[in-house]
Amino acid sequence: MTELAQHSTPYSVVEAEPPELMGRNLRVAAHLWASSTGFFFFAFLFAYFYLRSVNSQGKWHPHAVKAPVTLGTLIAASVVVSAVLVVVAASRLRGGDQPGWRLAGLGGLAFGVLAIVLQVVEWSTIGFGPTDGGYASVFFGWTGLYLVFLVCTLYWLETLLATSFRYAGRGASGHAPGEASGDSHRTGDDIAEPISLIGPGADAFAFYWAVFAGIGVATWIILYLL
Amino acid sequence: MKLRKLIGFNLLTAVILGVVGFYVGWWIGHLFKAESLDYFEDTGQNDISLFIAYLVGVIGFLVGLGFGNYPVQRLLGKPASLREKEDQGAARYFGLCTDHKVVGIQYLIGIGAFIFIGGLNAMLIRFELITPNQHAWNGNNYLTLVGLHGTMMMGMMSSGIIGPFANYLLPVMIGARRMAFPRVEALTFWLLMAAGVILMTAIGFGGFPTGWTGYAPLNVQANMGMDAYIAFFALVGLSMTLLGLNMIATVITMRAPGMTWGRLPIFVWGTFTTSILMLLAAPVLISVLLMVAMDRTAQTGFFNDAAGGSPYLYENLFWIFGHPEVYVLALPGMGILLEIIPVFSRKPLWGYKLAVSGMLGITLLSFLVWQHHLFVSGINADLRPFYMLSTELISLPTGFIFVAALGTLWLGRIRLAVPMLFSLAWLFNFLIGGLSGVFLSDVPSDVTTHGSFFSMAHFHYTIMGGLLFAFFAAIYFWVPKMTGYRLNERWGKVHFWTMFLAFNSTFGPLLVIGFLGMPRRAVTYAGYLQGANTWVSVSAFVLGASMLIFLANFVYSLAFARVPAGANPWGSKSIEWQLPSPIPLHNFDRIPTFAGDPYPYGADAGTAQRPVVAPARPTP
Repeated sequence: MTELAQHSTPYSVVEAEPPELMGRNLRVAAHLWASSTGFFFFAFLFAYFYLRSVNSQGKWHPHAVKAPVTLGTLIAASVVVSAVLVVVAASRLRGGDQPGWRLAGLGGLAFGVLAIVLQVVEWSTIGFGPTDGGYASVFFGWTGLYLVFLVCTLYWLETLLATSFRYAGRGASGHAPGEASGDSHRTGDDIAEPISLIGPGADAFAFYWAVFAGIGVATWIILYLL
Repeated sequence: MKLRKLIGFNLLTAVILGVVGFYVGWWIGHLFKAESLDYFEDTGQNDISLFIAYLVGVIGFLVGLGFGNYPVQRLLGKPASLREKEDQGAARYFGLCTDHKVVGIQYLIGIGAFIFIGGLNAMLIRFELITPNQHAWNGNNYLTLVGLHGTMMMGMMSSGIIGPFANYLLPVMIGARRMAFPRVEALTFWLLMAAGVILMTAIGFGGFPTGWTGYAPLNVQANMGMDAYIAFFALVGLSMTLLGLNMIATVITMRAPGMTWGRLPIFVWGTFTTSILMLLAAPVLISVLLMVAMDRTAQTGFFNDAAGGSPYLYENLFWIFGHPEVYVLALPGMGILLEIIPVFSRKPLWGYKLAVSGMLGITLLSFLVWQHHLFVSGINADLRPFYMLSTELISLPTGFIFVAALGTLWLGRIRLAVPMLFSLAWLFNFLIGGLSGVFLSDVPSDVTTHGSFFSMAHFHYTIMGGLLFAFFAAIYFWVPKMTGYRLNERWGKVHFWTMFLAFNSTFGPLLVIGFLGMPRRAVTYAGYLQGANTWVSVSAFVLGASMLIFLANFVYSLAFARVPAGANPWGSKSIEWQLPSPIPLHNFDRIPTFAGDPYPYGADAGTAQRPVVAPARPTP
C-alpha cells in the first residue's frame, strides 16, 4: 500500500546489508557484555567487603583458611598472558598477517586453558572448603564463576580460530552458496563472507578478553593479596 | 513429510528433550549425592539434583528448538547463517525464528499466558482474604500463592513491553530490517518460557515462603520449591541481560540514515533506557541467586550468620537489582504513554528533550536509591538521609514525563479511543503510585508503613497501574499493525472502564487498610478489617473479570470478526504506520532515510509530512 514496502516484494531481492554492519554489532556487543560482566562480579566484590566488615560470629576469615598465593598468581598470570597474546593476534590480523594471527591466537587459547587447569588444581589441593566462613564462601563462589566465564569466553576464541583455519588458503568466497543454511536456493540466509567477520570478531574478542583479564587481576588482588 | 516436520527442531521436540533432560539431570544429581562429599552431607534434601535437573532440562529444551545447531557449527568453523525459519508459515511461531516480528508476537502470547496464570493466583489470594481467619489455604500454601503471583508477574512483566512491542517495533522505528542479534533475540523469549514452566514446578516441590523478594535467611532454609524460584529468576535475569544488550546494540548500530539520536521515537528512548538498566542490574540478580544456590547446595555461608555470612548481604544485593527493576517495569510504560498521546491529541510531543532527559535521569538515579528498602532492616542510621533524598529526587525526572504528557495534551484535539483511555489512566494511576511512594521514601512514615498493605498497594499502583495499563494501551494501539485486524472498540471501552474502576476500587482501599495496620503476606488479619477486605476481594474479582472481557474481545476480533485495520487506522505519522499491516517480512523494500522528527502533527498536518523521504541507496 505504501512506497516503503509491499508484501509482494520478493524477500530474496531486497537489498543486502552493508558488510561492515555485523562487525560493528560485534564490537558494540563486546563493550556491552564487558559492562554486564563487570556488574556480575561487582556482586562478589560487594559481598567480599560487606562480609569482611560485618565479620559475623568472627568467622569471616579463620586462621586456618589460607588461599594458595602461588597458584593464584599463576592463574592470574596465565589469563593476563592469554589476553596479551590475543591483543597481539588481533593487531596481526588487522595488518593482514593471517598466520601470525592464528599462531598468537592459539597461544592465547593455550594460556586460557592453562588457567582452567591451574584453577582445578588449586581447588583439588586447597586446604579449606566452602563451609569455612565468609571468605571461603566468597573465594569459591568468585573463582568458580570466573572459571565458568573463562570456559565460555574461550569457546568464542575457538570459533574464531576454527573459522580462520577452515578458510586458510581459500579466498574470501571460499564457501559454497547456501552452505550455512544447508540449501543452495537460500543463499540469502547465509552471512555472505564468514571470513570477513573474523577481523571484527577478533577485535571485539580482544577488547572483552582484556577487560576480563582486568577482572582476573582484581580477583587476584582481592582474594589473594588483601 | 509430516513426520519429518514433527521430529525436526520445534516446540514438540523441545518439550520432549526438556522433560528427558530434566530426568537425566535429576539422575546425575543423585550420583553427586551418592559421592557423599563432606559439604553435601548436611543438606537434608537433594537440591543439587533439582538444580542440575533444571539446567539439563533447559539445555534439552533449547537444543530441541534448534539453538544447539549454531554453536556447534561455529565450533567447527563452519559458515554461519543469519536467518532461521523466517518464511515457514504458522510453524515459525512454534520454534526458533529470527524474524523480530515473529518473536514479538511470540512474546505477546507467551507472556500473556503467564500473566494470566499470575492473575489467577491473585484471585486465589483475594479469595482467602475474604475472611480474617484462614479458610481456604493453610499458611504455607497461601505464602506460596503470594510468592508465585509476585514472582511470575515481576519476572514476566520485566519483558512485558520490551518483549512484544520493542522486539516487533524497534527495528522498524529506526529503519532497520532486523535486530542486531536475531538468534539472541529468539533465545531471550524461549529462556523466558522455560523459566515460567520451572516456576510452576515449585508447587510440586512444596512451594516457597519468601514472596517475590526471596529474602534470606528463609531462602536458604526453605524446602526445594525455593530452587524453582532461584532457577526461574536466574533465567529471567539472563534473558533480561541479553535482551538489553541486543536492544542497545540495535539502536546504536542499526539506525537508518537520518535517524539521529534527536529523532528517535520516544518509545525507542524508553526501550533504550530500560535496556541500560536490564544490562547492568540483571547480572547482579543472577550473581546473588547463584550465591543462594551455593548456600543451598555447597553449604557456603553467604547469607548464614552462623557461618560468617549475613542475611543483610542478600537484601542489599537483591535491591541493587530490585530498584532498577522497578524502573525496568516503569520506563517502557512511559515510552508508550508519550508515543500514544501525540497521536490522539494531534500535537507534536511537547518537551521531547525534557522527556528524554527524564528517562535518562531515572535510569541514573535508580541505581542510587536501593537502600530505602532497608530503612527498617539493618541500615546504618547515618545513611538514611542520603537514601531518603536520592529517592525523593527521582520524582523530579519522573515529573518531567508528566510535564511532557500534560504539555502534549494541553489544547490538543483529543480523541478518546481505547489506547488513549488507557494512557490517560496511566497518568492517574501512576500519580497515585508516585504520591504514595513519597510516604515510603520518607524515613519516619516508612517506619510505620513498611511491610504493610500500604506498600503493597503503592507498588501495585505504580506497576499494575503503570505498566499493565500501558501494556493494554500498546495492545489496542499496535495489535492492528501486528495482525492486520482491529480490536473491537466498543468492547475495548467496556474492558477499559471495568478494569480502571475495579483497579482503583481494589487498590485504593488497600492503601487505607495498610495505614490501619494490616501486614502483607499474612494469611489472617484483625477482624475489624473484614468489611474493607471483602470489598477489596469483590473488586479484585471484577478486575479479574475485566481480563476475561479483554480475552474475549481479543479472540473474537482476531479470530472471528477480522475487521481489516488498514495501514494507518489511527492517523499516526510514525514510520511503522506508513507500512502495510501486518508489516512485510523484510520490513522495507529499501532502507529509508529519515528527514524530520517523528511527531509532525499540527498546523502542517494536511501536508502529511513523513519522516521518510527517499531510499538511502540504490538497489544493487
